[in-house]
Amino acid sequence: MAEYDLTKRIMPYLDRHLSLPLLAHLCETTLFALEDVQIAQYELAKGTNMPDYAANLFSQIYPDQEVPQEFEEKRQNTLLTHQRLQDEAQAVLDVIENPDVAQALRQDKEQNLQYLKDNYNLTLDQIAALYHFGQFQYSYGNYSGAADYLYHFRVLSTDNDLNTSAQWGKLASDILSGKWDAALQELDTLRESIDSRSLPGPALTQLHSRTWLLHWSLFVYFNHPAGRTLLLETFLSPVYLNTIQTSCPWILRYLAAAAILSRAPAPGASTRVRNALRELIKVIQMEEYQYQDPVTAFLKELYVEFDFEAAQRELGRAEQVLGDDFFLGEFSADFLDNARYLISEAYCRTHQKIDIRDLSERLNLSPDEGEKWIVNLIRESRMGADAKIDLDKNVIEIFRPAVPVYQTVIDKTRGLHLRTSGLGTAISRMGMGAPQGAAGAEVAVR
Amino acid sequence: MSRFFRTQGDSDSSDSSDEEEELMSSGDEAAPSRPAAAAPQRKGMDSFLKKPGGGSDSSTSDDASDSDSSDDSDGAEDDGDQEPQQAVRIMSAAERRLVEMEATGKVMENALRINDWIAISNEFDKLVRMIQRQHNVSEPIPPFYIRTLISLENSVNNALAKEKEAKKKTNATNAKALTAMKQKIKKSVKEYETDVNKYNADPEAFEREYNALVVRDAPAVAGATPRATTAPGVEGESPDFTTVGPRGKAMQFSSEGILKNLQGVQEARGKKNTDRAEQIRILEKLLEVAVTSYQRIRVLLALVSSRFDYNSSVATHMPIELWLSAQREVDQLVAIVASNPAYSIQEIIEDYDELKERTPEDPDEKGGIVRIRGSIISFVDRLDDEFTKSLQNIDPHGTEYIDRLKDEKALYCTICRAQAFYENTNQDEPLGRVIMRRLEHIYSKPDAVVQALEAAVDASEIKPNMRLAGQGTTSGLIHALCVYLYKSGNSLLRTRAMLSHIYHHALHNDFHTARDMLLMSHLQESIHSADVATQILYNRTVVQLGLCAFRCGLIKESQATLLDIFTTQRVKELLAQGVHTQRFQVITPEQEKAEKQRQLPFHMHINTELLEAAFLVSSMLVEIPLLASIDSDELKRKAISKPFRRLLDFADRQVFTGPPESTRDHIMQASKALQDGEWEQCRDLIQSIKIWSLMPEAAAVKEMLAKRIQEQGLRTYLFTYAPHYSTLSLSLLSRTFSLPLRAVTSIVSKMIWNEELSASLDQSGGVVVFHRIELSRTQQLAQTIADKVGAMLEQNEKALDIKMGGTGGWGDRTDGNKGEKRGEQTQERRGRGERTRGTRGGARGRGARFAQGLGNEMGSRTG
Repeated sequence: MAEYDLTKRIMPYLDRHLSLPLLAHLCETTLFALEDVQIAQYELAKGTNMPDYAANLFSQIYPDQEVPQEFEEKRQNTLLTHQRLQDEAQAVLDVIENPDVAQALRQDKEQNLQYLKDNYNLTLDQIAALYHFGQFQYSYGNYSGAADYLYHFRVLSTDNDLNTSAQWGKLASDILSGKWDAALQELDTLRESIDSRSLPGPALTQLHSRTWLLHWSLFVYFNHPAGRTLLLETFLSPVYLNTIQTSCPWILRYLAAAAILSRAPAPGASTRVRNALRELIKVIQMEEYQYQDPVTAFLKELYVEFDFEAAQRELGRAEQVLGDDFFLGEFSADFLDNARYLISEAYCRTHQKIDIRDLSERLNLSPDEGEKWIVNLIRESRMGADAKIDLDKNVIEIFRPAVPVYQTVIDKTRGLHLRTSGLGTAISRMGMGAPQGAAGAEVAVR
Repeated sequence: MSRFFRTQGDSDSSDSSDEEEELMSSGDEAAPSRPAAAAPQRKGMDSFLKKPGGGSDSSTSDDASDSDSSDDSDGAEDDGDQEPQQAVRIMSAAERRLVEMEATGKVMENALRINDWIAISNEFDKLVRMIQRQHNVSEPIPPFYIRTLISLENSVNNALAKEKEAKKKTNATNAKALTAMKQKIKKSVKEYETDVNKYNADPEAFEREYNALVVRDAPAVAGATPRATTAPGVEGESPDFTTVGPRGKAMQFSSEGILKNLQGVQEARGKKNTDRAEQIRILEKLLEVAVTSYQRIRVLLALVSSRFDYNSSVATHMPIELWLSAQREVDQLVAIVASNPAYSIQEIIEDYDELKERTPEDPDEKGGIVRIRGSIISFVDRLDDEFTKSLQNIDPHGTEYIDRLKDEKALYCTICRAQAFYENTNQDEPLGRVIMRRLEHIYSKPDAVVQALEAAVDASEIKPNMRLAGQGTTSGLIHALCVYLYKSGNSLLRTRAMLSHIYHHALHNDFHTARDMLLMSHLQESIHSADVATQILYNRTVVQLGLCAFRCGLIKESQATLLDIFTTQRVKELLAQGVHTQRFQVITPEQEKAEKQRQLPFHMHINTELLEAAFLVSSMLVEIPLLASIDSDELKRKAISKPFRRLLDFADRQVFTGPPESTRDHIMQASKALQDGEWEQCRDLIQSIKIWSLMPEAAAVKEMLAKRIQEQGLRTYLFTYAPHYSTLSLSLLSRTFSLPLRAVTSIVSKMIWNEELSASLDQSGGVVVFHRIELSRTQQLAQTIADKVGAMLEQNEKALDIKMGGTGGWGDRTDGNKGEKRGEQTQERRGRGERTRGTRGGARGRGARFAQGLGNEMGSRTG
């Protein structure tokens, strides 16, 4: 199953610290040799300001060797830098935490700066100390502290580049300290700033930022309770879908998983979420040549080929893949449940008479379990009235009366009035030269 | 003409006027050396000048005077008289011109006496022409002309004054000639204003100046050309001196005089009477004697340009031998410049003395580099263009074409050499152009051909950095070339490189990469404003992409891609593979010529018959099940592929259908068989089309087609016969269409899921159960009207969207909940459009727009 592991593909788009949990997860799975993973962890940790952690890893890998001296030196260095940066930042913090100042601060950043400069002799350079200290804290693993400092910095600073950088830093800190609500908020603001960026920079940088955002957001979306719906909402929007198709098709796995997981969306969900599967299948088909794994293959077999056997086989493999995946691991059972539901739905829609045993087999269930499952399914789904179980022959019979013609006509014409009046409003807003056709449409509708 | 007569009279040898002309033209070319030869005998000339003037006193016409004087000379020569005048007159063309001028002047004087302005006007015209010629060979204006001008001006004024006094006696034509004369004189005087003023101020000084000018030129060349002294003697002795002329000239080409000769040739270039062949010959000889690199570069530059000049007409191509030598010389040039970094050929440089020999050691040269005006890249461009042009003009079915095609290897090597040179000298702009040329030679070729070309490059001594050997595969090579062009600033080259790259991917069956690149380039949005050549390349690329999809078995994509070009019904024209004749439109000759120039050489053509076969077969596979699935006539009008539908209708009307002959016949009969569910017959018909053999991997394609025909046959069968069954066994279907049961189940399930077929599967019985509801007429109509109203609203929204323009969409601006929802919907739709662009919708729109774009472009170009 190692060939379906995405860690290698995802890591280049992550921060060093964000990659650590991924590797830690790999240690728990048996996909790769433990030693290799540990070495990777060590290499990763070496570049951070966490000498203790690195030294620890080193002794784990080479138990018979002495920990190199450099870690000790680095530790000293780190402590010194910490002290220096903290002193610098503290000066600023003292001012800001003063209740008078907090009250005097307004929305306008320029004005705030002026105020701070006039009254407390605080310059932009000093404020930047907040940023540096925050960054430093992040680099040795004090994520919540880093988040605080970066937050303060962002409130005060007017430097665009540093602000963006601080935003990413704050997001990473929030993710690593597990504050999912804050992270989600951070993610949204970051996304806005990326999408709205009308900087002269080439489209390529925007693509890069989006790719990074896609990868980082996985942490948030698969941990936040409402994450999956939000993921669909974001990832299926045209720009991000294009980004996925262009630079990181492997994200399709997460998109597919999320779509399956939110099979029955909440009533308030947008059309995008409701049609997620349909959209997704098109994309999967289109990108098949670039990327496929059991999860996407499952959807393809089920909805493109209608090969239920193959779908079932893929589902079995998908279950394993999910179990090993860092993000999807805990959704494995949920995924399986929903996938079964999808299979049986598709099955029921195309069949009139179904052998229960056969269906149970399709769903990887024993006949008894299968029967229970099917009864539940019939009960909770809308086809309840049409499906009957015939225990004598051990089959389900589904009678699907055709939709009356009048119903289709009504459905087709339902939205017309609303849309026409929308047109009318738009035209009157334009205030001139209403197209003839619009009037015609209105007449036709009435 | 007059000169002709005379010299012919002079020489009693049988040499034709050809030789004569050579002499004359060489006289023009070697103009600076001419007066030189005459210089020592200045006195003699002077006395001679007077003589014919006096002699022709009585004659009234120029011709008469000419024959007179030639008679004179004939007589003199026959006598064996060695008069110095004689020798002088014969050897100097410049003198002869002067004599003529004087003669004309005399005639004018005579005419003036009798007040015959018509004659004066004619003579004056002649004089002006002569002066013009004098000008062409850059000789100073003789004072005689100025003198005549001034005297004429005076007499015209006098005559006009007289005219006014005595009105009645003027004859109309004469008066007209007089006024015309006045205008002409005015013009001429203006032209030579400074000279006239100078002459007026001091006629003698002017004359002195002229003489000095002529004399000064003389000794400068006299030393350099041994002929100056020897020639008169030789010519004096032998009567057939004209044959000596060329030989004598050959002697004069020494390495010292090269630059002068070169300048002479260059000055004569592009003038009316220069003999191009002769110039080339002179330059070739100059090249032989050239010693230093500087000389060789200069001569080569001139030689290659004069070879290109040889054909003045745009329509015809350069003779092949000339082309070959030009190609060799460009090679030589590149080799010299590449091996001597101290010489640099540039298009824009400071002026330098053409006659001076320059070396890198010269302190005048900045940085020890000799910069010479010229452009290798334009030579390479021209060479390539001429190659294409010759291929356009040679009959592609003859052996000549193939022979010519063999020269491509040499040309390719030249291009690569130029590339290597530019790489070494870091000249980005020409490097981009030369790489583009190289790319154009290989992008549409199969691997084997590219390997052959590259092998030739590897064998040559100067190699560019990007080579097949270094890159491994042809795709690698093309990628390297294209990436260079993408990085260069030139947007046209970038576009063309992109299209070539896509074409190459498509040729190698890499459909997805090619499609993604095409979509990401967003070329379809701007291509209609590109130049025609690029549009053609775009068309070729799109068509190749369609063929690629066909080969890969992506029938729907192939159909959608090829549909655009076939709906226009101008396939050949759009691919630049033939001139399209429209029925109701007459093409002007210019239009036709422009068209012809655009044509691609035959070996680059995409076979249109194969293209059509691919398109019609994919249309068949898409359209026939669709036709079977719709039952109301209303819907039938919505055709996906109009060209196919038209052919099918035509075939339907046929009373009698014989055995298929053409590709179209095959496909039409196959379509009918498919409609009837006879998939085996359909398959056989399709597979027996001969043109498939032109497609690479024909066997695999045929196999793929058979499979598709089975599937689509099944679908068609189900659509067509569903009303007649209530249940249908899956195993029967599987047997009939020899598909595995699983495949049948999958296809049927898909149709049910997509609500194409109102049926369901009965698993226990292994049958399909059909649920069919007959709709009453009213119900049908109700449905139709609902659809139409929906479509109309859709149209209105679209129209409004366009009117409001832009990205925001009017829906976004309406407030309230409803508005938001609308915005969402429009965006949704737009988003979908964007995403599915790859498959069909976008492709169609793009093509339609594009085809029109080309039409407009051509209209505006020709109209």
